[in-house]
Amino acid sequence: MHALPSELSSQWITLFAAGMLVIQLLMVVQRMLLTSIRLFAMQSLLLALIAAIVAYSHGATEVYLVAVLTFIGKVVFLPWLLTRLVKRIAIHQEVEPLLNSTASMILCGALTLLGCVVARPFTSLERLGNNTLAVAVTLLLIGFFLMFNERKAITQVLALLTVENGVMLAAVALTTYGMPLVVELGVFFDVMVAVMVLGILVYRIRETFASMDVSKLSRLKG
Amino acid sequence: MLLTFLVLTPFLAGVSCLATRSRLWWERANLLAFVAVAILAMAAGSEVARHESLSALGGFLRADALSALLMGLTSFVALVTSIYAIGYFRRDLKEARITEPQLRRYYVLTPIFVSAMLLAPLADNLGVMWVAIESTTLASALLVTFYSQQTSFEAGWKYVIIGSIGVSLALFGTIVTYSSAVGVLGEHAQDGMNWSTLLSIADRLDPGAMRLAFILAILGYGTKAGLAPMHTWKPDAYAEAPVPAATLLGAGFINCAIYAIMRFDVLAEKCLGHEFPSQMLLCFGLFSILLAAPFILVQRNFRRLLAYSSIDHAGIMVAALGFGGKLGALGAVLHMLFHAVTKPLLFFSMGNVQQEFGSPYLRKVSGVVHRLPWTGTLLFLAVLAVTGTPPFSLFQSEFTALSAALAADHGWAAALFLLGVVTIFAGFLSHMAKMTLGFPPESTARGVECPWKLGAMLLVGLVVVGLGFWIPPTVYELVHRSARIVAGLP
Repeated sequence: MHALPSELSSQWITLFAAGMLVIQLLMVVQRMLLTSIRLFAMQSLLLALIAAIVAYSHGATEVYLVAVLTFIGKVVFLPWLLTRLVKRIAIHQEVEPLLNSTASMILCGALTLLGCVVARPFTSLERLGNNTLAVAVTLLLIGFFLMFNERKAITQVLALLTVENGVMLAAVALTTYGMPLVVELGVFFDVMVAVMVLGILVYRIRETFASMDVSKLSRLKG
Repeated sequence: MLLTFLVLTPFLAGVSCLATRSRLWWERANLLAFVAVAILAMAAGSEVARHESLSALGGFLRADALSALLMGLTSFVALVTSIYAIGYFRRDLKEARITEPQLRRYYVLTPIFVSAMLLAPLADNLGVMWVAIESTTLASALLVTFYSQQTSFEAGWKYVIIGSIGVSLALFGTIVTYSSAVGVLGEHAQDGMNWSTLLSIADRLDPGAMRLAFILAILGYGTKAGLAPMHTWKPDAYAEAPVPAATLLGAGFINCAIYAIMRFDVLAEKCLGHEFPSQMLLCFGLFSILLAAPFILVQRNFRRLLAYSSIDHAGIMVAALGFGGKLGALGAVLHMLFHAVTKPLLFFSMGNVQQEFGSPYLRKVSGVVHRLPWTGTLLFLAVLAVTGTPPFSLFQSEFTALSAALAADHGWAAALFLLGVVTIFAGFLSHMAKMTLGFPPESTARGVECPWKLGAMLLVGLVVVGLGFWIPPTVYELVHRSARIVAGLP
């Protein structure tokens, strides 16, 4: 059960990782909250598929579990939870970013380049696919940008989740057999609880502020 | 076994509070759990002091001297806070600031929060340590929003979002470390995230990867420790959380974050040599101290003052770590010990003042000694102790850090360090002189000191004064061995 990753599976991983990056860029330019949530679900699906390919090509059963957990948690449960939250609080769905699409696209291009430059010295650590580490770093950087650019509470949660996806992609790319199982489970559990806590906060902020715009959270100073 | 019980006891106590509606039960369950934790921690601590280390659950939990010290500090802070909390929340209830269901949230979440804080230093696996630290954020998020006001949600939101960004960087750092460990140990290395394994192979890890991992770890855990410039959540969270929860964050949790930085620093120094990690630590440490100083001078809200003091102390610990060598490590560990023991007194007495005067603003408070003689006296004592005035123990640790700086020829760094510490001392003293000694506002009616709160404060006060003169041999042994671990000596 110790087969080397075949050329084919490596190519699939590269393709799916590239797909994750494209979805991240789409999230930057589009304006509807529900679409953003669906994009996040698709990105997570690609991550789950990457984990499944790794598991298959190495015959590593515990990595299958990671794939299944990612699918249940990030493709099904969290998008469902967030969609329900958006519908429940009946906010108007338009996102109002600070920078317009063109400017943010150019900036994200620059961030992608930066991601490649940062990841370049570490390509020797990469065990699967080409440039997966570069993609992971770029997902992180664009995730941070999303967080600053879009001032809605739910988009900040989504941005955080895409950052998390980036970190998990790095985990898959840098270590063939994934992290130790107990850590994997703990991280999964923490992400789920984090989104639930943030969901409670969004709900309560909505109640007290009658708005979900995070830029209105500015009374505390000094 | 000892360690397993230690982590589980508070967790179970917290869950048990869900089952009942009796406030008396919540208070007792919390108090009893933390007394039990303190006893277990003492037993485990003396065990570690006698032998090399202690482990449980097949090496999943492991306590060396440094973990044991952290465990002891967390249980001390948790115990005194649980005593104080009883009096604090009874008064809040009486004045109808909170309702009973709201209060249950505190008594359920706090033990779970403490449980995660105990797990963080005891987990041998750096990934599990990460999970524990992220769990503390989640358990304490709803404690920050406890009072359910607009400002508390604002603080809570910042706390979770900034904290989560930070720890996701730390997770990335952990993964990079693991990945280079797998490169050394081979593909199936499930123990490649274990601290004990990593330490033995640190000199063979990929230097480039270790450099990246260290930067990510210090950014990530530095956010949780509140190092500038990632400190922005801290003043809000400390000012909005109820005082007992803020105490747990400011005297208890801060150590866990610094602890994580210490562990990564040992690995980085062993892999990369002293230069690079030391420069990073010095930059963040000195910047935190120097940033805190002006904010303390011009501060108008004494709860936020506490947060800037905490940023300053996190900076001192990290800077001491950066000065390096046995002396720097000793300074950092000692400072951690003395800070954790002293800080609750400042939180508690300021909490009393806020409850009595009904405001966290300095301009509304003066003449505390006339209205609350005990609180006023203890507040003054706490300020002197926290700013590191000579008879108190924080002076010793700051002095040790300073000698480490001079021994390592960091003249400029030492000067900046001293500048920051002295400015903060002056700022604190001027605020406090007005607060405690000035003339009381209109009425001079004596306030009532609550026995629970006063008891907790006297207990901490006694320990603070006592530690200035005598350190128990077990603690002394743990401190010295921790310093050796942090300095990377065998």
